[in-house]
Amino acid sequence: MPEIESLDLNKQSVKIKWQNFLKKRGISNFADNEITNIDTTIGLFEANSLIATGSIAGNVIKYVAVENETNESKGALFNKIVSALVSCLANQGIFHIFVFTKPEYSKTFEHVGFSLLATSEKGVILEKGMPDINSYLMAINASSKLENKKIASIVMNANPFTKGHRFLVEQAALENDLVYVFVVEQDVSLFTTNERVKLVKQGVSDLTNVKVVLGGPYMVSFVTFPAYFINSPIDIIDYQTTLDAQIFKNWVVPQLKITSRYLGCEPFSKTTKRYNEILQQQLSDVISIKIIERKMIDAQIISATKIRLAIKETDLLLIKELVPLTTFKFIKNNLNILQERIQKGQKINGN
Amino acid sequence: MEIKKSALAGTLESSDVQILLSPATDGITIDLQSDVKKQFGDQIEETIKKVLLSYKIENVHVKVVDKGALDMVIKARTITAVQRALDIVDEPQWEVL
Repeated sequence: MPEIESLDLNKQSVKIKWQNFLKKRGISNFADNEITNIDTTIGLFEANSLIATGSIAGNVIKYVAVENETNESKGALFNKIVSALVSCLANQGIFHIFVFTKPEYSKTFEHVGFSLLATSEKGVILEKGMPDINSYLMAINASSKLENKKIASIVMNANPFTKGHRFLVEQAALENDLVYVFVVEQDVSLFTTNERVKLVKQGVSDLTNVKVVLGGPYMVSFVTFPAYFINSPIDIIDYQTTLDAQIFKNWVVPQLKITSRYLGCEPFSKTTKRYNEILQQQLSDVISIKIIERKMIDAQIISATKIRLAIKETDLLLIKELVPLTTFKFIKNNLNILQERIQKGQKINGN
Repeated sequence: MEIKKSALAGTLESSDVQILLSPATDGITIDLQSDVKKQFGDQIEETIKKVLLSYKIENVHVKVVDKGALDMVIKARTITAVQRALDIVDEPQWEVL
């Protein structure tokens, strides 16, 4: 019975063996941004040759492959590898796990307790453990009185919340009975997740039919849509946004009885523009997609990118013009902290 | 006793069972996946509930992936998961065993 061993990919000889093994089994993406975030890689050996392997990056299982011709059945090797990865994650206190894999391996993972979240031609995404998407959506606690009502949704990073965001939410609030504002939960932006949520809540507190909630790992996160945060080629953006849109369509829309999604028209970011296009393609058969023109102030478009640049350059006048008073007060009171974050290397020109 | 943190025990290998306990507030819910659910589903859930009861756990969410484990294996894995969830791995409750 082969034993689980950990593989040290920093050793070039080990890494080459490992890559060759995966390549032979159809896994060929060894881009730097895929490899560098791997925390653990394990393998099973038989007579000194690798017969199964799998890796962990954060809470995502990757690079799982199994040899066909061994003494043990392929299924047994697969289950052994996945068990070891799941236990390893549990030891770190991670009980909610994701896996991206090719559509043909979806069933294999479902057989060991994963459930399918979304499918695209190139790949599928599955999750296992708790809290899962059902418990996430249950916690939002959709009111049962909302049958046949108009329920809008907006997903925003709000880094930070501007008059543009406010305009978008206002439009939706006017045209609907209820508006869910999902704030991106991934904490990698200039404004922390707590700050972003607080500013959104303060900025819409007068709109009684707006509910602000966190997007969990299911909306624009490192799990569903890492390209939002990391510059990526267009085919990767297409693939990830499709999965992000599918999760929204398959789970969020039916559970919360959402009838529309509002998008801000995107003149600047290539990634967000493509995301909008894919959302339209994927969602327009189940809900209506409303694209709202960007709000202009004195012939200039409001964008959070502009605000972040103004923070760097201490241009408080411009900031005051483009954000609601609540956001302005926060920026003014925390200018030093924000500028310090930028100095320490926080990127401000992305999303 | 109250489950305050999640805990996992067992593997996904043949003849074993993997049990994940998570905090909950609305009683005991068991989410069972098994090839023999039709034949033995009730019995598996019964075994798990008995262990939870003996630890006086009233609120917990249990995810079970069964790979054809025998009753005693299910019992052992559940006990391990409970002891881990309650942070009492070093102090087994012999009266439960």
